[in-house]
Amino acid sequence: MSPTVQTALLISGIGMIGIFIFMALFYLLILALDKLLPHKEEAKADEK
Amino acid sequence: MNDFFFFLLDNLKVFWNYTGFANVEMGHIIMILFGITFIFFAIRYEFEPLLLIPIGFGILIGNVPFDLSANLEIGIYEEGSVLNILYQGVQKGWYPPLIFLGIGAMTDFSALISNPKLILVGAACQFGIFGAYIISLQLGFAPTEAASIGIIGGADGPTAIFLTSKLAPHLLGAVAISAYSYMALIPVLQPPCMRLLTTKKERLIRMKPARMVSQSEKIIFPIAGLLLTAFLVPSGLPLLGMLFFGNLLKESGVTRRLAETARGPMIDVVTILLGLMVGVSTQATTFLTAASVRIFGLGALSFIIATCAGVLFVKFFNLFLKKDNKINPLIGNAGVSAVPGSARMSQIVGLEYDSSNHLLMHAMGPNVAGVIASAVSAGLMLGFLY
Repeated sequence: MSPTVQTALLISGIGMIGIFIFMALFYLLILALDKLLPHKEEAKADEK
Repeated sequence: MNDFFFFLLDNLKVFWNYTGFANVEMGHIIMILFGITFIFFAIRYEFEPLLLIPIGFGILIGNVPFDLSANLEIGIYEEGSVLNILYQGVQKGWYPPLIFLGIGAMTDFSALISNPKLILVGAACQFGIFGAYIISLQLGFAPTEAASIGIIGGADGPTAIFLTSKLAPHLLGAVAISAYSYMALIPVLQPPCMRLLTTKKERLIRMKPARMVSQSEKIIFPIAGLLLTAFLVPSGLPLLGMLFFGNLLKESGVTRRLAETARGPMIDVVTILLGLMVGVSTQATTFLTAASVRIFGLGALSFIIATCAGVLFVKFFNLFLKKDNKINPLIGNAGVSAVPGSARMSQIVGLEYDSSNHLLMHAMGPNVAGVIASAVSAGLMLGFLY
C-alpha cells in the first residue's frame, strides 16, 4: 500500500469518525433542548 | 480609388480578426453546444432551472471566441475585466457562504429537531465524499484535487465550490458543473440504488409522526449549533456560521425583513452571479480535458456511494431500534443534502409502494443534516489539506 493511500485512508478514517462525533454531539444537543424546552402545548397537556 | 479600396480592405481584415468567427475553434463550438444543452434540459425538463440556466448561459458567454492579444479586458481570466471582478466571488469563496445564509433563512430544522437520530444518516452519507477521495487519489489526482472531486458526493453545490476554490481552483468549473449536474440528475441516479438495497417489507415501514418542536428550541438550535461548529470545526465556520445565522433570522421572529431578504432577493442575486460565473469559467481550453471527464465519472461514483451509504446505514441502524421506532430506509438517500430534491425522491419512491405512506417530512431530517454534514466534511478536508 503506497504512502499516499495510507494517508488518504487515515484522513478518511479520521474524517468519518470526526463527522460522526460532531453529528452525535448535535444529537445530544437536540435531546438536551427537548428536555429543557418542551413544546408548550405538550407542557400544558401534562399540567392538566 | 485604389488607396481607399486597400484602406477599406485592411480595416475589414482588422475587424474580421476581432470577430468570433476568425477566432473560433472546435472546443468553443463543443462548449457552446454544451451550454445550449444545459439550457434545453433546464427549460424542457425543468432540471434545476434556477442553476442550469445561469450556468448554461455562462458557458455561452465564456466560450465566445475573441482575440486575446487585443487586450480588450473582457475575458474572465483578464485582470480587471468586469467578469474577472465578478468571478472573485467564486475564486475567493464568498458567494457560497452568502448562499448558505439564504439557505439557513429558508430551512426549517423542525424535522431534524423532532427526530434527532436522523442526523446520523446525514453523517453516514459522507462516506461518498471520502470514498471518492480515496479512489481519485488512486487514479493519480493530487490530494487537494481528490478532496475537491470527493465533495461532489455531498450534493451541495455551494460547498463543492467553496472547497474547490480553496483547494483546487483550476478544477472549479468541472467540479461545479459536475456537482450541479448530479443534483439535477437525482431522479435518475438515486431510485435504482434505493430499490436495489431495500426489500419490499422495508419500503413499507411507516414511521412515527414527528413531535411538535417549541419555538424556543428552534431559536436556540442555530445559536448552539454555531457554537458547536465554531469550537469543533472552525474551518467550516464560513458555511455553517452563515447557515445558522440565516436560520436565526428566520426563527427569531423579530427579523422577518432580514430573513425575507436573505432567502429572497439576496440568494437570488448570488445564485445568478454564482451560476453565471461558474459557467463563464468553463472555457474550452481549461474545461475540455481528460481530467474533466474523469471528474464527471468520479462525481457520479461519489454521489452513488453517498446514496448507498445512507440507505445501508438506515438498515443497519434499524437493527438496534424497537419495532415501532424503525426508520424507512427509503429516506437514507436524503442524507446527501441536495435540499429538497433528494427528500422529494424519498417521498416519490415511497409512494410507489404505499400510496398513503408520506415520507417527505421524515426525509427532511436527514436532508438538512446532510447540509450540515457536507459543510463539516468540507471544513475537515480544508483543515487537513489547505
